[in-house]
Amino acid sequence: MSQSTLSTYVSRPRLGETTWVWLIKIVTGPLLVLLLILHLTVNHYLGSTSSGLMTYDDVIRYYQNPIIPAIEILFLVTVVTHCLIGLRGIILDMNPSRRVLSIVTWFLSLLGLFSVVYGIWLALTIAAKGG
Amino acid sequence: MDNTRNQPSAGKFLSWFNPLGRQTGGWAFILNRITALGLTLYLFLHLIVLGQLAQGPGAYDNFLALTENPFIKLGELAAVAAVILHGLNGVRIILTSFGVGVTRQKQLFYGFMAVSIVIILFFVVRMY
Repeated sequence: MSQSTLSTYVSRPRLGETTWVWLIKIVTGPLLVLLLILHLTVNHYLGSTSSGLMTYDDVIRYYQNPIIPAIEILFLVTVVTHCLIGLRGIILDMNPSRRVLSIVTWFLSLLGLFSVVYGIWLALTIAAKGG
Repeated sequence: MDNTRNQPSAGKFLSWFNPLGRQTGGWAFILNRITALGLTLYLFLHLIVLGQLAQGPGAYDNFLALTENPFIKLGELAAVAAVILHGLNGVRIILTSFGVGVTRQKQLFYGFMAVSIVIILFFVVRMY
């Protein structure tokens, strides 16, 4: 396999993406795989009293253990970060102008911030319902 | 500066859906992109739906009843399949980004996709 062919397979920072942003996307990937396995196993197999999805009572009971909202918040921050950096990378593939890229970056940053604040509020609200 | 190069181009996006002339790396790339877009949509829908937990048991458990709808179930299965395909394709990308298996890209891709299919089939059996 030639070097030029190989280089098309390997992920690297693209034009308009700093090495740090690329690295965060790469590092959050395997962390997400682990958190997702944990999330799915606990939500759909261990935390559910019925088969399949958790009922409202299941969720409230599950959130009384403080480690659960902590892990879910970590999962939320990781998945939102990975997702929005990845989405920006896809938009970079379309060669946006600097002005468009700046708007996209601001929009995605605000969307990420709003999503994380909303998710933390939701996790704490659910945890408080069992008190 | 070449201004035309920096113009937004929807054509580049649409070219992802063109199956002609693609090699393995091209398929891996398009699979990663399309599953990423699907999962982004799913993530925000998931966050919105979970907001019903703040409204009490009535709202949330009524939503749960909806998940028995075959179309919703199919959507859930699609999300699970996208997670598995994106996750394992992503593991391959990370390995090669750090110099592991760079000369065995195709084999890695086919191997991870075979494992993905087995896991997806497991979920199909469990969900139906």
